Amino acid sequence: MQRLSSINELKELRSVLFKTADENKPRIVICAGTACQASGSSDIIRVAKKYIIENNLAEKVGLRITGCHGFCEMGPFILTEPQQAFYTQVKLSDIPRIIEALLENKYVEELLYQDPSTQEKYYNRDDIPFFKNQKRSILGLNQKIDPIRVHGYIAQEGYTAFEKVLSKKDAQWVVQQVKDSQLRGRGGGGFPTGLKWELLAKQPDKGGKFLVCNADEGDPGAYMDRSILEGNPHSIIEGMLIGAYGTGANEGIVYVRNEYPIAVKHLNIALKQARQLGLLGNNILGTDFSFDIKIVKGAGAFVCGEETALIRSIEGKMGEPRQRPPFPVEKGINGKPTAINNVETWANVPLIFRLGAEKFARIGTEKNSGTKIFSLVGKIKNTGLVEVPMGISIKDIVYNIGGGSVSKTRIKAVQTGGPSGGCIPADKFDLPVDYDSLTKAGSIMGSGGMIVMDDNTCMVDVAKYFMNFLKDESCGKCFTCRKGTQRMYEILDDISKGKGTMEHLELLKELAEAVKDTTMCGLGQTASNPVLSTLHYFYDEYRRHVVDKKCDSFVCKELVGAPCQAACPLGTEVWRYAALIEKGKYKEAYKVIREPNPFPSVCARVCGRECESRCNLAASGDEAVAIRILKRFITDRIDPAVYKPVRAWRNGKKARRVAVIGAGPAGISAAHYLSLLGHKVTIVEAGDVPGGMLLSCIPAYRLPRDVARREIDLLLNDENIDIRYNTVLGRDITIDELFKAGFSAVFLAIGADKSWRLDIEGEDAQGVYSSMEFLKAFNLRGEELAKGHVGIVGGGNSAVDAARVAMRQKAVKSVTMLYRRTNQEMPAYAEEVEAAIEEGIRLETLVSPVGIRYVKAAEAEGVKIESFVQPIKIDARDGHIVDIQCVRNKLGDVDVSGRRRPVPIPGSEFTIALDTLVAAIGERPDSDCLASMGLQLDKGGRVKVDAKTLLTDRQGVFAGGDLVTGPNTVVEAVAAGKKAANLIDQYLQGKELVEPVQIKMPKVFIEPAVVSEEELEEAVKRAEPAILPAESRKNSFEEVELTLSVEQAKREARRCLRCDLEFTQQKKNEDAQLAAVEGKSK
Amino acid sequence: MIKLTINSLDVSVEKGTTILEAARFLGFPIPTLCHMEGLSSYGACRLCVVEIGEGPRAKLVSSCTYPAEEGMKVRTASARVLKARKMILELLLASCPQSKTIQDLASAHGIRQQRFKQEYEDCILCGLCVRMCQEQMMAKAIGFRNRGEKRSIGTPFDVKSDICRLCGGCMYICPACQLRCTYNEPQKAICGGCANLTPPCVDKEQFDDMMCYMDPCVACEIKKD
Repeated sequence: MQRLSSINELKELRSVLFKTADENKPRIVICAGTACQASGSSDIIRVAKKYIIENNLAEKVGLRITGCHGFCEMGPFILTEPQQAFYTQVKLSDIPRIIEALLENKYVEELLYQDPSTQEKYYNRDDIPFFKNQKRSILGLNQKIDPIRVHGYIAQEGYTAFEKVLSKKDAQWVVQQVKDSQLRGRGGGGFPTGLKWELLAKQPDKGGKFLVCNADEGDPGAYMDRSILEGNPHSIIEGMLIGAYGTGANEGIVYVRNEYPIAVKHLNIALKQARQLGLLGNNILGTDFSFDIKIVKGAGAFVCGEETALIRSIEGKMGEPRQRPPFPVEKGINGKPTAINNVETWANVPLIFRLGAEKFARIGTEKNSGTKIFSLVGKIKNTGLVEVPMGISIKDIVYNIGGGSVSKTRIKAVQTGGPSGGCIPADKFDLPVDYDSLTKAGSIMGSGGMIVMDDNTCMVDVAKYFMNFLKDESCGKCFTCRKGTQRMYEILDDISKGKGTMEHLELLKELAEAVKDTTMCGLGQTASNPVLSTLHYFYDEYRRHVVDKKCDSFVCKELVGAPCQAACPLGTEVWRYAALIEKGKYKEAYKVIREPNPFPSVCARVCGRECESRCNLAASGDEAVAIRILKRFITDRIDPAVYKPVRAWRNGKKARRVAVIGAGPAGISAAHYLSLLGHKVTIVEAGDVPGGMLLSCIPAYRLPRDVARREIDLLLNDENIDIRYNTVLGRDITIDELFKAGFSAVFLAIGADKSWRLDIEGEDAQGVYSSMEFLKAFNLRGEELAKGHVGIVGGGNSAVDAARVAMRQKAVKSVTMLYRRTNQEMPAYAEEVEAAIEEGIRLETLVSPVGIRYVKAAEAEGVKIESFVQPIKIDARDGHIVDIQCVRNKLGDVDVSGRRRPVPIPGSEFTIALDTLVAAIGERPDSDCLASMGLQLDKGGRVKVDAKTLLTDRQGVFAGGDLVTGPNTVVEAVAAGKKAANLIDQYLQGKELVEPVQIKMPKVFIEPAVVSEEELEEAVKRAEPAILPAESRKNSFEEVELTLSVEQAKREARRCLRCDLEFTQQKKNEDAQLAAVEGKSK
Repeated sequence: MIKLTINSLDVSVEKGTTILEAARFLGFPIPTLCHMEGLSSYGACRLCVVEIGEGPRAKLVSSCTYPAEEGMKVRTASARVLKARKMILELLLASCPQSKTIQDLASAHGIRQQRFKQEYEDCILCGLCVRMCQEQMMAKAIGFRNRGEKRSIGTPFDVKSDICRLCGGCMYICPACQLRCTYNEPQKAICGGCANLTPPCVDKEQFDDMMCYMDPCVACEIKKD
């Protein structure tokens, strides 16, 4: 490379490069950033090179190896030019195909990027939402530049900004331009860069001034600085050259951490090339301007990112901050004036001069100009580096670019700014991302880390994690920072282990504020942010840990124990019966299942299965243990008689009478446990059969009638329980009358069996039913209401039930379900939806009904409307539904639940001819009568109770189940009934109503199964029970799901990770040790 | 000369004077642990924090390191300062309950309880010894090592130093070990409650009539657990 001796020579070089570059030559671009290398891009590059050379394609196809493009989630990838096709997660064997396709200007369809939620394929990379919604003025260059070739940078208008500055020959103008651009420091503090330069320029030049590029990026999860240094090192050099010209600095230092070997390597190469070209050193480009840059490698202390600590580190001293003032611009490295800017700030400088300060200032918002790169990580679909204009909302970043939650779980918060940043909750996602707004919300911009958290993230644990980081990374000089972070960690650790108290929360806050106030440097002053912001926004979560000793995210081990047990509303020891099944001890397993749950066979068929969704096997990426099916296996083969419920001995105390309203699962379980506690119970049931929703709503193919009846009868066949049918609360009896009749307490469990109305025109037409009406008619009376073409509106379990029941009715020709969101968002259990589709049920998603048309009304559309016409006549003659008018929806904005709101597309209306319509959009309690009895109801008709005591506003009146929660699972109702029984017992004894706080910890040790090496290697799939084939089940109400074989059950039980052992084995070992010690001492 | 106000009193000091020096010149007491005349200021213990600035820009700075600036308004005992100082002392007491210097300071600031888990450390890493060794004894035998939780003071690699002349300056100056409650001289010990903690070299009986100035005494609190 020849040294360039004037500005013109640089210009000439560039024009030559321009001319020789062939923009239209097919080229494959492969990212060799650290993240892509980790996922194997170096091999991809090697193989691609080899393929091109071996097939003599070097003339026809180019290869460019670049730095990070940002979409690290999808690495390694290949981008083709000029097609802009984007092949993700490429394998070595794919390379020939990709190159061949490129040469023929075709696409390898199956390797193209596909949107995970819409399944849409993208042919042009720039159309992919992840890229489309960004403004990549800095990162965008990475893909066009080979970082180890200076010519690539020059050809991309590199060093033109510096050229401008050199030609202008006005240092003051340079500083003014940066001031006008309103660029603020990207390191996190947001100090105006122009102002800093001005201060440095004003310092008297006594023996030199320093410019420093701070590349000591240490936040966990943030790597944008590394990507710029790796992918475009010359932009930093150019930025620093401009800075040096403006401020009169003559020495530049890049302080980069040693953990960034590729960045150091690329920077070294770039510096060497720049010196060779005469862009660095003495008399740059033949002018009298001289400047050189050297690299100082840091040892990786987080605190060395703080500027005074960084200076000390460069000086070779211990990296600890010192008091400012004096500021580094007055007294920096070796006492000389020093200006320190972050990598990203330097990378922005050339851009200002290329665009012009005014144009640059227009990007972003006022006072927060330009773009900012964030590293978007965590529980989000698209992780990687994103560059957006300042002032964009968090929502846009998380949902439009990030693609929203990676699972069905709701996104809860975003943590910005790394360890010293804070958490911003989902309801604040409209917040614009800029320095001032984030600081106001209790977080910081920091270097731009953005960690997305969902409901599976425990905020106490998050604070604890960052405090653990900070207590190690605080330099330790300030007593409050060193000891304060340790103490905060200690308290958080206590809280996460269930040892926290409310006083701890007070102390934690007090301490956090003191640390924030009394420390010297930025690290200490922001170290409390993780604690303060989580305390501020997620105080309830802390309270939950402290008061209820519960971690709802199932993160804090000491509070969770075995997740399956903790997740079960009844606290069933799932791990225990799984272990017993493995040992073949089925009777004992039955006892374990039956002990907490009076409805084992019912729950073995219809259960919300919180246990499975919390199974650690599922959390580690595998499929959860098939817990419900294992339960089914036991309940199907064991006689319930093996379990004898334990009756409390009342010690001569007088038995009291309790009235239970409603004979559903909640009512029956309350009656059962009250009876066990020695009370006399009278169940008052409105219908003529017990069981509530179990029999009236859940279809027989899911829950066979005889199974449910047997279990219910077993529980009701109790001398303490008396049941009165056909007695409706409000009509036949009131609460006052019950108390007068000598009942000491009343438990309301009337459930939620009133369907919500669609609230659209024509709903009262014949042939339109509510799901409850429809299901009850069939399940209780055998009436088949569905005829011809049937439509079902809704996507919940009862909608699917209705659809499948309709499918089995004789006069039905077709069944169509109409749901307003995508089927991924259906609240029904996914397997039920699949089964429904298998049975031939059409699913129209993203559809919302706008109106039902009558025949006559349709006619009327063509008729002129005359006043004084009586519409009564038309109704009387004909009022049967013929079709439903629908409008198509599209996905709109994200709502609070994190789901995209369905928005109707105007003009997309269409009609479906229907003979029957079932509205199944949800249920509510039929509780209007309760208001007149002095109970408070909410808008959804639910009774308001004290969540802890289940007590309503009336003395002695308790309520539970669906009546309180709205439609919910069977197991929740059973749990509510059980809880109510215990509380009512306490009430009757005149005790204070408290539910004892207890952590459900595994207590019994069961020897784990020995799993052989082979077994470990062959990935055992989750057991799936045999099901009746779709054809034969379509017309029958036989149970669809069959039970497991002994072999299957055993294998499935062996899949259990036995999370209990962590707690029971340790205890067992301790006991053994203790015994041994005692034995010795004897 | 630089003019500033400290607790609303005007004062003018020479350039380069720290807030601490200016305040002490006026007679305002500011507690310190890591500061010593004759040694450079360090700002490690944070006890000497004072409030400067006004309104939302008000902040706490360590007065021993912060230079006096023209027009500065300093408050040495505002509510915010006292609250912070109390928390610092509580933290100190939780770490080094046996230092008499810390006990006295805590007592003077009305600390009546200590809510953290009790530790028994004998160093608060104030760095006085390091500076003493370096600046007065010209030895540089000891220094800080490591960072964060693992920070400690000692010789490099814990090897016995050749430079150290065993002058004892480091021990003399230590606020944590200096005047530590010496159990065999009961007349010097105010509290004596700490005698319950670790087996001291004297019998506990000697302290029977002692009045514990910490109420409740930290040590007694711990004993209950």
